[in-house]
Amino acid sequence: MKIVAVTACPTGIAHTYMAAEQLEKTARRLGHWIKVETQGAMGIENELSQEEINGADLAVFAADIAVQRQERFAGLKVIEVGVQEAIKHPEAVFGRLSG
Amino acid sequence: MIRIRFDFPLANGLHARPASLLQQACRRFAVTVVFRNERNHHRADVVSALELVASSTLVHDPCSLEISGRQEKEAARALDAFLRRKLPHVDDDIPMPDAPQEGTPWLPPVFHEKGVHSFQGRTLAPGTGSARAEILHRARSLPKRFAAGEKDGKKELQLFEKACLEVETELKTTAAGARERNAAAILNAHLAMVADPGYRARIAGLIVKKKMPAGAAIEKVTALFARTMQRSSSVYLRERADDLKDIAARLGEKLYGRSSLPPPPRGPSSRIHKGQRPCGPLVHKGPRPSGPRVIVAAGLSPSELLALDRRRLRGLVLGDVSATSHSAILARSFAVPAVSLPAHELALINAGEELIVDGRRGLVIQKPGPGLKRYFRLEADLQRRLARRRAALKMRPAQTRDQRRIEIAANIGNAAELEPAWQNGAEAIGLFRSEVLFLERDAPPGEDEQYAVYSRAIRSAKGRAVIIRTLDVGGDKPLPYLALPAEDNPNLGYRAVRFYGEHSGLIRCQLRAILRAAVHGRLKVMVPMVTSLEEVRLVRNLLAEAATELRARQVPHTSNLEVGIMVETPAAALSLESLAKEADFFSVGSNDLLQYFLAVDRNHPKLEGLYDPLHPAFLRLLEGLAAGARSANRWLGICGEMAGNPEFLPLLVGAGFDGLSMAPQRIPAIKERLGELDGGECRNLLKRAGRCADNGEARRLLAEFNDRGNSAPIIRSSGADPIGLPHLGASALIAAEWVSLGSPSRTAGEAIRELCGLLELGGRVSAASALEEAVWKRETTFATDLGFGFALPHGKAVTVKACSIAFLRPRRPIRWSGKNSAPVRAVLLIAVPEHGGKTHLRLIAGLSRRLMDEGFRESLFAAAEAPTVLALINSAVAVG
Repeated sequence: MKIVAVTACPTGIAHTYMAAEQLEKTARRLGHWIKVETQGAMGIENELSQEEINGADLAVFAADIAVQRQERFAGLKVIEVGVQEAIKHPEAVFGRLSG
Repeated sequence: MIRIRFDFPLANGLHARPASLLQQACRRFAVTVVFRNERNHHRADVVSALELVASSTLVHDPCSLEISGRQEKEAARALDAFLRRKLPHVDDDIPMPDAPQEGTPWLPPVFHEKGVHSFQGRTLAPGTGSARAEILHRARSLPKRFAAGEKDGKKELQLFEKACLEVETELKTTAAGARERNAAAILNAHLAMVADPGYRARIAGLIVKKKMPAGAAIEKVTALFARTMQRSSSVYLRERADDLKDIAARLGEKLYGRSSLPPPPRGPSSRIHKGQRPCGPLVHKGPRPSGPRVIVAAGLSPSELLALDRRRLRGLVLGDVSATSHSAILARSFAVPAVSLPAHELALINAGEELIVDGRRGLVIQKPGPGLKRYFRLEADLQRRLARRRAALKMRPAQTRDQRRIEIAANIGNAAELEPAWQNGAEAIGLFRSEVLFLERDAPPGEDEQYAVYSRAIRSAKGRAVIIRTLDVGGDKPLPYLALPAEDNPNLGYRAVRFYGEHSGLIRCQLRAILRAAVHGRLKVMVPMVTSLEEVRLVRNLLAEAATELRARQVPHTSNLEVGIMVETPAAALSLESLAKEADFFSVGSNDLLQYFLAVDRNHPKLEGLYDPLHPAFLRLLEGLAAGARSANRWLGICGEMAGNPEFLPLLVGAGFDGLSMAPQRIPAIKERLGELDGGECRNLLKRAGRCADNGEARRLLAEFNDRGNSAPIIRSSGADPIGLPHLGASALIAAEWVSLGSPSRTAGEAIRELCGLLELGGRVSAASALEEAVWKRETTFATDLGFGFALPHGKAVTVKACSIAFLRPRRPIRWSGKNSAPVRAVLLIAVPEHGGKTHLRLIAGLSRRLMDEGFRESLFAAAEAPTVLALINSAVAVG
């Protein structure tokens, strides 16, 4: 499956990147293609292009604050989880994809 | 009659200290001086300091002195000089508390635990202490009966005079024995009050003419003065009313004896605080703790505070007392934590119950539980370590972050200031104002007297340099034995080196004393007010003559003394290269240089805004003169007020000064700030500031520079040196000292406090509490224990100087976010400055990602020593 994801947390110092790491590692292990955009203290990084979003099967938002520029994902199925869940139980996040 | 008009210059108003100095200045002449406040039409004879104080004079009040008598001309000149030169600075060393806290300060969660009861008051003195409460109460009032036993005015007056004498003697003895400078100053102010002719005459009048008992007379006159002071809109003046009541209480005790005083009121203590505070002495209420104690009292006079057993005193809880009261000043001097509470809360404290006094937060905690006690023990331990670090930091050589040495020296006026200078970490005496020795006396000090003072200074310097400025007086600092003519414009007149030729005997005498003292160490002289090479040659000739005289008398002396120039005229500032022919070193007197350069009288109340060192032209002047000194290969210092202001420090570092000399108490802060500055960055800043269009632009540029977080590069090694202090130059992300393995912390609160404290100790956070607050703010939106046995608390705060990581492994796993949360075996705290660069954030992001790797986590759990933890984290950062 082709997945695009965004992670964001209140201070954007640590958890944004921990969640991104977990999503990337787990998705790859499960055989998915994934790209994770981080919206943290350094601003938007590893930004998703509109082509990548358009070509994706679904999106994951692992965020404790509002995701910026959500309009890019119009029409795409979005799974929203908390940052904590993405860090602690990344498998469960991907488990929801098939379910 | 001569009238001098002036604007009152002191922010605290006319209080006891300026009043007594004004008296001293008048006393030397056969004149009567009347003080008038033109705003409120108060009039006071200068003889009575209390009448002066009771005039309720505030800063910028239009005032005048009316001088009449045989010596009115001389007195007028001296007083004019006093008003312009001395008066504006008499409050410079009053220790003031930090800026008042706004609103209710944030408290860590442990304060909100069940059963904790705390009172939020105001900070009087920082620090924390805990012990059982001892409550002190004040007797209602003085007896109204006749101390003499009968209605005999004469006898009653004699007893009153005797009581005054006894109190005076007591105060003199205590003041002489007081080691603290503040304590002695306050006792002397009290002494002046008992001896005050206005106060004494009014009381005597009531006793003799109105046949009033002494106690009643004292109370009436005290209340009269106290009321006027209490009405003042200066808080500082209002506080002085308490000092007067202290005097009244002591007089009452002498007149009637302690035992015959009326008992304290019954019922809640709040009652006695409404309206006027009574002036009786203190008595105990309820049980007295036998060991350490926290004293609880509605008011405590300075002498009462001094009488307490300080070895057992752990804290003070006072009633409605301000931070500028003498008692609060003393509490700060003695490092006793103190908090002020409103009367109704004070009444809720019971004798013998346990209290914690948290001076920093302004809190009093009643019957603290075990969690809070542990938290405060942690805090007290941290404060002790911080104090040790500050003491060590004070004594280390001053240098910039890029390790450029800059000598940080002290300005002093007399030998008594030597010890405070060395204790504050002075590396030299950059300016010894020798004229202080010559002022306010009828004949100049002789060679031996001067030799004694100078050699005491050089001996106490123990190898450090001492620069003595030769006599710097003129029309504005008149000396009776040096008949200098009065001038319309003394600052531009016959002063300093300009009269050395005419009064060469006086100067040769000073130079002989200096040449003799120079045998004992690194003594140098500095010549004030130089504009031409000729003037320096004159001093060199006088020195040669002085040496010849000493040789003839076969007195030991130095023959080659370094002679420097005080650069305080624009002409000198622009001729350093040619002046270097006769000068061994230069020191900029920035106060006068600025005044002459901008043509602004620095004491003129209406020109305050114009007297501004940030005038871009002045900054270019500094830059240029420094370049001049460098090309002439001469040492360059600066000894004006500018040198002691941390705000201006980057500009002075940028100019390349070799030494900065300042008031002793400014040294620690300047040394600390210096360690954060980079020479190159400061040079660029000065260049840009000098090109600004106006002062405002330069000020904004400087503020931006000063507010900016530390943008130091990362050095991947321990950032600490052998004595456990951070390298002022280095900026590592983590240091071994910020790693706590086998920590005793049992809760998230304790772990966070400990880690923030470690960063404060490491010099990475200026106030750990602000970081603690930021971390908890994050923690309460979502706890940062994310499973895997890890918690990752983090926060962003303005007090963080550089991005830093601290690491802790508790002895026993911590239930981080509640009883049912998974145990935490390691805590990694991340501190980020408010305006940090992205470099560090990227490293933290990399490290966060790395924590998702089980192998990495396991090695952090297993690491046996701090260096291993350091290496692991640095490797993660390098990969990230």
